[in-house]
Amino acid sequence: MRFLDLLSMSVNNLRRRKLRTALTVLGVIIGVASVVIMVSLGIGLNQLMLEMYSSYGDMTTISVYSNSRYMDAASSDSEPMYLTDEVLEQFKHLDHVDGVSPMLSCYVLFKQGLYETTVDITGVSQEYLEKIPLGQGQIPEEGGPMKLIYGNCVIQWFRNSKTGEGYWETQKLPDVDFMNKPMFVIFDMDSYYQSQGGGENAPKPPKKYMIETAGVVEGGVDEYNSYAYSVYTEIEGLKAQLKQIFKKKPIPNQPTNKKGKPYPYFIYDNAVVFVDDMANVTEVQKVISDMGYQANSQMEWIEQSQQTYDIIQMVLGGIGAISLFVAAIGIANTMMMSIYERTKEIGVIKVLGCDMGNIRNMFLIESGFIGFMGGVIGLSISFAVSYAMNNFLGLGQAMMGVDGDISRIPLWLAASAVVFAVFVGMAAGFFPSLRAMKLSPLAAIRNE
Amino acid sequence: MGEESKIDGTRDEDLRGKNFGGLKERVPIIEVKNLYKIYKVGDTKVYALGGVDFTMYRGEFCAIVGPSGSGKSTLLNMLAGLEKPSKGEIVIDKVHIEKMKENELVAFRRKRVGFIFQSYNLLKTLNAVENVALPLSFRGMPRKKRNEIARKYLKLVGLEKQMNHMANAMSGGQQQRVGIARALAVNPRIIFADEPTGNLDSKTTMEILKLMRRIVREQNQTLVMVTHDNHLASYADRQFHIVDGKIFKIEECHHDEEDIEEEDIKEEDIKEEGIKG
Repeated sequence: MRFLDLLSMSVNNLRRRKLRTALTVLGVIIGVASVVIMVSLGIGLNQLMLEMYSSYGDMTTISVYSNSRYMDAASSDSEPMYLTDEVLEQFKHLDHVDGVSPMLSCYVLFKQGLYETTVDITGVSQEYLEKIPLGQGQIPEEGGPMKLIYGNCVIQWFRNSKTGEGYWETQKLPDVDFMNKPMFVIFDMDSYYQSQGGGENAPKPPKKYMIETAGVVEGGVDEYNSYAYSVYTEIEGLKAQLKQIFKKKPIPNQPTNKKGKPYPYFIYDNAVVFVDDMANVTEVQKVISDMGYQANSQMEWIEQSQQTYDIIQMVLGGIGAISLFVAAIGIANTMMMSIYERTKEIGVIKVLGCDMGNIRNMFLIESGFIGFMGGVIGLSISFAVSYAMNNFLGLGQAMMGVDGDISRIPLWLAASAVVFAVFVGMAAGFFPSLRAMKLSPLAAIRNE
Repeated sequence: MGEESKIDGTRDEDLRGKNFGGLKERVPIIEVKNLYKIYKVGDTKVYALGGVDFTMYRGEFCAIVGPSGSGKSTLLNMLAGLEKPSKGEIVIDKVHIEKMKENELVAFRRKRVGFIFQSYNLLKTLNAVENVALPLSFRGMPRKKRNEIARKYLKLVGLEKQMNHMANAMSGGQQQRVGIARALAVNPRIIFADEPTGNLDSKTTMEILKLMRRIVREQNQTLVMVTHDNHLASYADRQFHIVDGKIFKIEECHHDEEDIEEEDIKEEDIKEEGIKG
């Protein structure tokens, strides 16, 4: 028997008993809708949480620190484990690591017109720079002279050097223009403070350098993001600049060896390791920890929360699944009734030579079709409910304190909901259909 | 009954003794050997059929006649593979069916057998054409082709005007005509009819009976009809009388070609009646 003929016979049978079919389908609709809505809430909560964390910083990065960084080498017996270019090269060759960036900060004074502030400049790799979303300007090209990228909130820190007032007191943005006016930077802060100390024998203030601005981070002056309050530059440029400024003098903030002399290479404060995928972050983090460095990532927090949300999702899904299970019983019951009613008819088609498998399939298609209709309608209701929850109730704001959709129905959920509904329908119809298949054709011949 | 049956009865008297069997070579199509069907009720055995032997031939119209409980329906069920015999052999078209599994039996019926029921057993959700085409759909025939065949057979049974009527919306006689068309549509070797006129009035009974006989003769098919009515049975070429699970006698009554032609004239009336009803 052709599939289309089977399908049209099954659908015909369903149409024959519209009310009963509608009631059975209603059961499936409620079941599917509750599963989909519950799971969509679970997914929504989970993703809201991820979005919350990703607003704190990139989730595939691991920050690496050295335990020895702020300890004096002279006071410890063992060889200090500094983060150097050599170590970073090792990190770079670990599995799943896309890239590595050293972080070298340098405390400086910025000056533009009347306004000035002290801030850390952070030297990072070109790779790191390229990840920063810029609102103005562009990422400097590699190998060029040192250029700065300002966080979008850095402007808040500038104070009027005469009145001593800043943004916090006046609530007025300082008259500082990163992009169009030159910015002067003093690197040698020790000399600067000495020169500010006053008195006759105060040395003259150290040299100011004009450093070009490459760009400003995306976002308003009050909008927080993980780059908002920092100033970045390309590390090789920074190193070259520092060497040029301090020449033979020790560069501030660099540790010294046991003899109290600086090392001939740079020692970084910390480093950032970029991992190819969120799933591998924990693994890479462990390897780095085992190497003897401190490693932190957002994943530790995320994993914990994710476990919590997985449980919430399972509970929610379970509640939905119960109603779907009840619906499945409804389908089985409907199919049994339908077979009792059609005993004679089934007998007739068996006498007329309808294959047993075809009879079974006819009933399977019938129950599968109930599942399919329930699945499709239930899914559209879920979309409607989900839309209402996201747009009219503001639940996301209330529950997580983050703007975003609390109920999310990804494509896989939509597709699998329908497939699952069909599967549930067929599973519920399986035993009834076997029963129909085994009915005796003699029932048809018997006359009532 | 009454008038018409009297006329037919007298005609049967007239026809008796005329030679019919000599016209064709007789090819056996159903061979039954030593067939038993035993039901166990508690400790006692009930013999529904107790050793039946006979042969039916191609193109023959056979009637199995007997009172209620004589085992005639049981015999028909076993010939059609709906019930399993307790003992004995049934060979249909040179194939033993007594050992077949259920799905083989279904396939056997699909390929070789047409069925006409007492209570018509049309599917209520389908119209006349779809009902006739139903057994063809079990063979996987495409819709267009099978509906074409169905229309051809509906014309043959005189239901040109009722083709798209739903089964429910037809009279008993019309429904049984659809039933006959359904049995014929698969072009079977054998047609089984279980009290095909049991639910019809006497006038319609005659029309249906003659229609069946005419068509199976034209197409050289074997018709096996079960009935409790001796008069109806007398329309058959051979009557198998069954009493208490045994063949009591086999009666031959030959109807010749003239008889059929004469009835063909009558068919015109039947068709008209069918259209009116």
